[in-house]
Parts: sequence; structure tokens; C-alpha cells
Amino acid sequence: MYSYIARRLAFGALTVIGVSIMVFVVMRILPGDPLVAIFGPEGMTKLTAEQRANYMRELGLSDPLWVQYLRWVKDIIRGNFGQSFFRSESVADMILRRGPLTAEIALISVVLSWLVGIPVAIVSALKPNTVADSVARFASILFIAVPGFWVGMLIVLALLFWFGYRAPMAGVGFFTDPLGNLQLVIGPAIVLGLGQAAYIARMGRSSLLEVIREDYVRTARAKGLNGRLVIALHALPNALLPVITLSGVLLGLVLAGSIPVERAFGTPGLGYSMFQAVSERDVFVMQNLVFIYSVVFVMLNILVDLTIAFLDPRIRLR
Amino acid sequence: MTATVTTVVAAPPSRLRLLGRGLRTLFRRAPLSAFWGIVAALIVAMAVAAPVIAPYPPLKSDFRAMQKPPSEAHWFGTDQIGRDTLSRVMYGAQSSLTVALGAVLFGTTVGALWGLACGYFGGRFDMASQRVIEFLQSFPDLILAMAIAMALGGGMATVIVAIAITRIPFGGRVIRSVVLSLKEMQYVEAARGIGASHTRMMLRHILPQCVAPYLILATTHLGVAIIIEASLGFLGVGIPPPTPTWGNMLADSLNSGLVPPWWLVVYPGVAITITVLAFNLLGDGIRDLLDPRLRGSV
Repeated sequence: MYSYIARRLAFGALTVIGVSIMVFVVMRILPGDPLVAIFGPEGMTKLTAEQRANYMRELGLSDPLWVQYLRWVKDIIRGNFGQSFFRSESVADMILRRGPLTAEIALISVVLSWLVGIPVAIVSALKPNTVADSVARFASILFIAVPGFWVGMLIVLALLFWFGYRAPMAGVGFFTDPLGNLQLVIGPAIVLGLGQAAYIARMGRSSLLEVIREDYVRTARAKGLNGRLVIALHALPNALLPVITLSGVLLGLVLAGSIPVERAFGTPGLGYSMFQAVSERDVFVMQNLVFIYSVVFVMLNILVDLTIAFLDPRIRLR
Repeated sequence: MTATVTTVVAAPPSRLRLLGRGLRTLFRRAPLSAFWGIVAALIVAMAVAAPVIAPYPPLKSDFRAMQKPPSEAHWFGTDQIGRDTLSRVMYGAQSSLTVALGAVLFGTTVGALWGLACGYFGGRFDMASQRVIEFLQSFPDLILAMAIAMALGGGMATVIVAIAITRIPFGGRVIRSVVLSLKEMQYVEAARGIGASHTRMMLRHILPQCVAPYLILATTHLGVAIIIEASLGFLGVGIPPPTPTWGNMLADSLNSGLVPPWWLVVYPGVAITITVLAFNLLGDGIRDLLDPRLRGSV
């Protein structure tokens, strides 16, 4: 187990380095000119050569690329992640202020996806090809196809239309104002949670159907164990392993999905900052946020892998 | 199976006949997928015929009918500057489908060729490639697409490239594993035995077997590509306005004061949902038809 953890962590560190290089390549080298990204192709033509050179020097963009990269790495290690080009806020402050809200949304949505997805999967798998199963399968196909941010817009619209209600716009922490905080996060969490639940229900169904046919399940039945206990003790724990892995992959869906969904709800979370950075063409904020999101994604997946290894000796010993 | 045997004996049927037979099998074995296939075809037809069937030009403002709810003259209503929503939804299909098809074809093809090379040559090249693919997969799809689209600056080509890059790992992984198992096949070994060159073995013996997984991959990723395109448009890094895309229309609807008019929100979203649903279910049908073993894995 320890060697597995060590290997997985070392591998994760390698991935983080690779990710940082890739982010740097995409954000700094691909356009050839971050000024184009900041000012837009039209604004660029209005700048004089002198202004351009000035901006480049001020932003530290006229140094060799590897110097720029190392400077960025140093910023990351120091933990301040550079400054926004348009706002007087460092990216680190932004993350501390807005990150908790998005983390909360992600956490609630994952819990919700399990609470909804697993029971649906069990009903579907135990009574395949019944009405309940068909309804569940259609619902999951539908929820995979519907863009989450659009569902979010519909919810906001419906609440406004019928109840004249709108979630507060100001960000409040859970501990200062639990009720206000809940109003902020519950909408995005439900939308993202149901989106994941659809995948979980589908995967859980097929995984459970497979496990039910295994010998050990038949043995458990044959020795006279009651049907519910067979499912709860023998089938479900084994069927859930692939679902845990899937849940880790789906975290990508939550992290990325929270950007348009937060925009739809107007939630002042980190996803909304990402939207602002993109619409303001704020290359530096974007570069750091993309990096942070990917690192979080990588680390959570390592956590999922370790959980799986902890639960399943077959993987641990390989 | 018997059908294929008879075709071997008889004269080889034309491609059109083969396509017809494939379609008939699809209808018989998977009527639901076939139905959604027709829906997908209708959406494609709507996109292509948009200039003919759209009641108004998509960019023309009518200042006497600004932000009007659905009516006889404007079935889906009009937006803040009096553009007809129905026409914009129809034209929106053009951009959405062009981007999705372009991105998936480009991304899956690059990924497939890369996977072919990885699986075939193996060794250090494969090792390095797998690492790069893992790095690519460490980004959530939409975030990578956002970053690339933003870095390259707006435009349709940019959006296609941005989404295509997020599709590369999938093509690479699947085709690589297919090639790895094909490499052990006896007919490939036989080809090597009689001294076939690397190019010949890859192109004549291995590539044709990759066509089915390639098609399955491409159709199953169309839906995802459409959703990413819409999200990019919604976030303002997609095809820049005033070009009508479904994502742009949804983003525009938020700019009309505190309460967005419902018709500006509902119709583009319904268009996205139906299109994605159609392509996903068609993809499922094609996958079951071409390769039932891949159920759940692609």
C-alpha cells in the first residue's frame, strides 16, 4: 500500500509539473502575443510600437520565456499567483475569497449525485426493463444531454417569474450567515448534482447488473441470505468501485461546469471569476486559475485512486 | 452474418447499397436510435437550409418589434434589438453543427492517427505520448477549451481547434488499445513475415480495422462538442457576436435587464438539448450496431 501511495504521489507531482508547462505554453506561447489577448486584435493595431514595448516590459513579457516560466513558478510557490491585470486583487486573494463558495457547491453536488444516482441505479438494476427502469434511463439520458447552465437559467427565470425570488448577489460565508449562504449555493449544487447523478445512475445500473450475475452473489442467495442483504452486503460494495472512479472523473464536469452554471445563477464563486477573467481577456488571472483548477482536479483524482486502492486489494497489490 | 457471406460470393455491392443495408439494419435492430437519427438528419437539414427556410435574416433588426413575445409574425418572439429568434435559432444550428463536426473530425482524426502510431511503434515514443495525453486529460474539457480559445482569440476556426484539442486524448487512447490488440493478430504477423513495410502494414492491415471504433468515437463525442461550443458561446469566448450561435443567444438574453424574457432563454436551450439528445442516441445505436463489445466503454 505505501509503495502504491508513493508511486501515485510521485506521478501526481510529475503531472502537476506537466500541467504547469502546458498552461504556460497555451497562455503565453500560442498567441505569440498576450497583448493581443488583452487588447483584442483591433485594440492592438491602435497601440504604437513604443507603447507595445512599454507594456511588454512592464508585464515582464520581454524576458526570455524560460525566465518568465521560472518567475511564474516562483510566484506559485510563494503562494501569491500574480496580480490581475484589471483588478487590484491578487489571484491568491481571489481564491481565498471566492474559492470556498465553489468548493461548497462542488461538495454538495457530489453528495447529491450519490444520494440521487445510487438509489435510481439500484431500482433500475433490480427491476430491469420495467416502467421504473425505463423512466430512470430516459431521465439519465435527458440529463446528460441538457446543458447545466441552461437548466440554471430556467430555474432562475422560474423563481423570478412565479415567486419574484432572486438569490442574494453578495458572497457570504457559511459560518457568518448559513441561510444566506445556502441560498447562494443550493441552486448551482442541484444543477451540477443532477448532471452527475445521471452518469452515476447509468454506470451504477450496468455495474450492478454485471455483479448480480457473479458466483458469489448466487452463493449468498443459495445459503439463504435474504434478498436485500445480498444486495446491500455482497453486490453493492463491489458494484460501487467503478462508480467511485467515475465520480472522480465527473469532478472535472463539476469544476468546469461550475463556470457557466455560476454565471447563470450569478453566484459570486471562483467559477464566476473565471468567467470574468475570460471575458476581460485577463491572461494572467486565467493562467493561474486554469492551473489551480487542473491541480485540484489532479489531486482529487489521486485521492479517488487511493480510496479505490484502499477499498480494493486487487489494485493495491498490482 | 449470412448477408456478408452472400456478398462475398456475388458481385461486390455498390457503396450506396451497403449504406442502405446498414440503415435498414439500424431501423430494424434499434428503432429508437433510428428515430433520433432522423431527428439529427432534420436538424442538419435545418442548418443547411437555414437561408431558405428562415423567415427573417438573422442579423436584421426590426425596431418596431423589439423584445416581443412569440406571435404570428415571430413564432419564437424577438430579442432586445428586434431580431427574429426563430431565424437565429435556425442559423445557430449552422455554427453549432459546423463547429461540432469540424472539432470532432479534426480532434478524433489527430487522436486516432497518434494512437495508431503509439500502438504500432510502442517503446519510448509511446511512453512519452501517453504522458502528454495524461497531461491533456488533467484539464477538465471546458477549461482547456476556454484557455485555448482565449489564447488564440475569437473566431470559428479557433473554437474548432480549441474543442478538437480536448477530443485528442479520447481518440488516442481508444485507437491505441485497438491497435495493441490487432498487432497480435496472425494476419498482421503474416504480413510482417512476407516483409511488408511499416507504412503498408499500418495503412493496409491495421487502419481498416480501426474504422468502426473511429466512427463510434466520432458520433459519441458530437454531443459533448455541441455542449462545449454552447458553453464557450455563453461565456463569451466562442464565435463572437453578432453571429447567431445558441450559446451567444443565451448569453445575450442575460443582457436584457434584470428579468430575461423567457422566450430568449427557452428556445435556444431546447435547440441545444434536442440536438445533443439526437446525436447521443444515434451514437449509442451506431455503437451497438458496429461493436456491441464497446458498450459502456466509449
